[in-house]
Amino acid sequence: MATESMFAWLGRRIKSQDTGSVMLVAPLAAFELLFFVVPFLILVRMSLNESAQAGPYESGLTLDAYRSVLDSGLYHDLVFFSFKLGVIATTIAVLLALFYSYAAYRATGFRKSLLLFSIILPLLTTLVVKTYAWRPLLAPNGVLNDVLMGIGLTSSPIQFAPGMFGTVVGQVYIVFPYAVLAIYSVLSTMDWDTVEAARDLGASRPRSFLEVVVPEALPGIAVATVVSFAWSVGAYAAPSQLGSGQQTTFAMEIENLMLTAFDWPAGAAFSLLMLGGMLVVSLAIMRLFTGSIGGVQDV
Amino acid sequence: MASVTLSDLRKEYGDLTAVDGLDLDVDDGELLCLLGPSGCGKSTTLRMLGGLETPTDGDVHIDGEPVTDQPPYERNTSMVFQSWALFPHKSVLENVAFGLKMDGVGSDEREERAREMLEVVEMSEFAESDPEDLSGGQKQRVALARSLAIEPDVLLLDEPLSNLDKRLREQMQLELRNIHDAVETTFVHVTHDQNEAFTLADSIAIMNNGQIEQIGAPREVYDDPVSLFIEEFLGDTNLVDATVASVTDDGVVADTAFDAEIEVPTGDAAVAEDDALTLSFRPEELDVARASDADGGATVESEPTTALTGDITDVLYRGSSVRFYVDIAGESLFFEQSVGADTEFSVGDTVEVSWHPSDLLAFTGDGERVGRGGE
Amino acid sequence: MSRVSRESVEDALFRAGYWLLFAVIMLPIVVVFVTSFQQGEYLTFPPSEYSLRWYGEFFASEEWLSAVVDSATIGIGASVLATVLGVTGSLAVQRSDSVLTRVLPPIILLPLLLPPVVIGLTLLIYVNRIGLTSAYLNIVVAHTLWATPLVFFVMQSVFARFDWDLRDAGMDLGGRPSRVFYHVVLPNVRSGVVISAVIAFIVSLQEFIMALFLKSYYVKTVPVLAWTSLESSLTPMVSVVSAFLVLASIVGVLVAAAVMNMEWLAKQL
Repeated sequence: MATESMFAWLGRRIKSQDTGSVMLVAPLAAFELLFFVVPFLILVRMSLNESAQAGPYESGLTLDAYRSVLDSGLYHDLVFFSFKLGVIATTIAVLLALFYSYAAYRATGFRKSLLLFSIILPLLTTLVVKTYAWRPLLAPNGVLNDVLMGIGLTSSPIQFAPGMFGTVVGQVYIVFPYAVLAIYSVLSTMDWDTVEAARDLGASRPRSFLEVVVPEALPGIAVATVVSFAWSVGAYAAPSQLGSGQQTTFAMEIENLMLTAFDWPAGAAFSLLMLGGMLVVSLAIMRLFTGSIGGVQDV
Repeated sequence: MASVTLSDLRKEYGDLTAVDGLDLDVDDGELLCLLGPSGCGKSTTLRMLGGLETPTDGDVHIDGEPVTDQPPYERNTSMVFQSWALFPHKSVLENVAFGLKMDGVGSDEREERAREMLEVVEMSEFAESDPEDLSGGQKQRVALARSLAIEPDVLLLDEPLSNLDKRLREQMQLELRNIHDAVETTFVHVTHDQNEAFTLADSIAIMNNGQIEQIGAPREVYDDPVSLFIEEFLGDTNLVDATVASVTDDGVVADTAFDAEIEVPTGDAAVAEDDALTLSFRPEELDVARASDADGGATVESEPTTALTGDITDVLYRGSSVRFYVDIAGESLFFEQSVGADTEFSVGDTVEVSWHPSDLLAFTGDGERVGRGGE
Repeated sequence: MSRVSRESVEDALFRAGYWLLFAVIMLPIVVVFVTSFQQGEYLTFPPSEYSLRWYGEFFASEEWLSAVVDSATIGIGASVLATVLGVTGSLAVQRSDSVLTRVLPPIILLPLLLPPVVIGLTLLIYVNRIGLTSAYLNIVVAHTLWATPLVFFVMQSVFARFDWDLRDAGMDLGGRPSRVFYHVVLPNVRSGVVISAVIAFIVSLQEFIMALFLKSYYVKTVPVLAWTSLESSLTPMVSVVSAFLVLASIVGVLVAAAVMNMEWLAKQL
């Protein structure tokens, strides 16, 4: 009797919706497993291999790669610079994005479409374009210098690029559209009436922005910050194109380790360490933001 | 057409039990209404009947055949959805022909049968129209035609009229009845509207909390409700608390909140002194007259009474009828009259309200009906 | 200052602010197009002389044209794969609430949050270890990792707006699930699928970091070739190539907009 009903139950489950869904999700699950999860595990395994003279790596089980990364003063500088670039670019990008998102949110009609188009287009444009195009603009013989000297602000050319300025400009330009997307999508669900209510109660326009709009946009700002930070710490294109030798990031060093120096264990170890660091910082950022969303506001 | 039998049907969603051991028999060709408040499990039951939900336990039989595990596309049932679910990218005709297409019917025959169906629901001229262009009532007819086109054994209707306005709804109820009589198919119709159930049904099954409380012909269910829930659900009535004062041969005498003792027939039911009761004074069973020749007091000494006196506190005009609220010893009782009745009362009038003891309905503290006819 | 004039100053500053940003955003795009018509050898902005010389050299260059073919092939491959995976995955998540469908969306999203360098290096090690030698396939896989989440989330919002009663009705009328998907669900979500595929294609076209790691001698996408050419010198050829890439994106956006409007138009007619 019991087994009969058990088979009936099984038969029912097999016939029900769920099997169809499992079959439907299988290709995607298999793909992610095969080409994302497993490669990651292999990355971890690679970080435990030995570096080799003739070839990218030698099979082994050692923490040498990690040690070489953690001990190296050069790498300390790289890591520090990468995080520094991350912080600077993220701060600028998110602040500008907040402003631009608000402008796009408030705009209507053609102007709104234009502003949104100006975000979508760079999103779909290659990093190559987004970086190299700044060179003729920021070079010593470039447009910016011409303009500054033309209006008499400077008397000799400033090297905006290659250099830190150029790197930051390039990197901000790269992450800006993503930050706007994150913030705008949250803003678009906001009820404008709440802002009007604030103004009605005496808040000036900038004040109502600070007191009403910004808190509402906080989840979007959080996402924008995490995404911008992740991409900026891992920046490759901007510092390569627009940086001088002093602007070297961990991503650039990875490229060197993998494709030129052929030291794959070191590359793997370095990546994992950086990912770990980025994860910690990202979680801290999210905690910071969600704390201010959920916590008691000062009255 | 076919009969339907649901045995011990159960549906659980995690911790939530939507349908709790339900038994139901629907006769061949019958129009049964599943009536109940929101959340009572009636739609879930209908969907299990149609195969759109799989029961956690229990069986569904159609025409004696077990279909519990059959998917909807293998069952010979068809559902008319609450939102009608017409395919927006197909014309009306293509919608109606869809089931036939899935069945492998040839293109010409499909079209012919679909057009026939559209005639039955009087929507022939809209055959080429876009469903989005139709009004609610028109969509409803197309949905009906689409479901009937495949000649199902059982037609399932999931509150398809609830999105229509009152006038249209009442018109569609009559049309639905006519179509039922014409196609001789078993209909199971889910609704939360008591009036709708009474208009349409051969038989009503009232559901509450995942179970059927009572099944019967509309008249029967109304006259002889099996529980307080049903009494309250089916219409407006006056409910009064009472306690049994003494037991008599064929009933009890109860102390009521009116500060009066009232005779209540309870048949053979087991009631004892001090039991709590709820009494239902149906407004249509009350006789009301001006107390101009009143005896004065509310009660006649200690005898159980069949009449009480009170003052009219409120008069509510409700279009074609008027509702009067009478205050009797702190309790409020209402009765209704059609506009233009002989006696007209106003606020402040003293009236005498009287009834026949056998018109009273009594319920225990658990909500069960006491002393049903024949029990 | 009176309130009115203070507000109009605020307004003017606000407007100046976002138009300035707008100009800065569009500036590199302008640079690309303008310098593509440059006459000289070394890229300057603004150019002193204009000509179509570099466009000519582009169309005459085997190396570049082969890169275009590689990019297009990989783009189509990634687009098809990402669309199939994203659509089926999104459907599955809509229909059931099992452990798998709850844990999958975050995993799908993860590649977008990792620096592309890390993904590039991870896949390089992986394909090396398991012996996948086709650079085409490798880059398609990498790009699919990136494009699938985009398809997934577009389809999520499309399916969320879809009336699932329609599917129930289809099955109730006798259609098996696959037939119902074809006859009832697909026609209504078609535009979402097309837009997803277009986005996936463009994302693949433009991606260069992962393609840089996974390239081979024979297989180089346009952005990768452009990037490596930048290491030697900054010539207007880069601008010509970039102009085509940007144009591809613009066409993509217009196609997506057209698909959405087409449906709306069809309804009106």
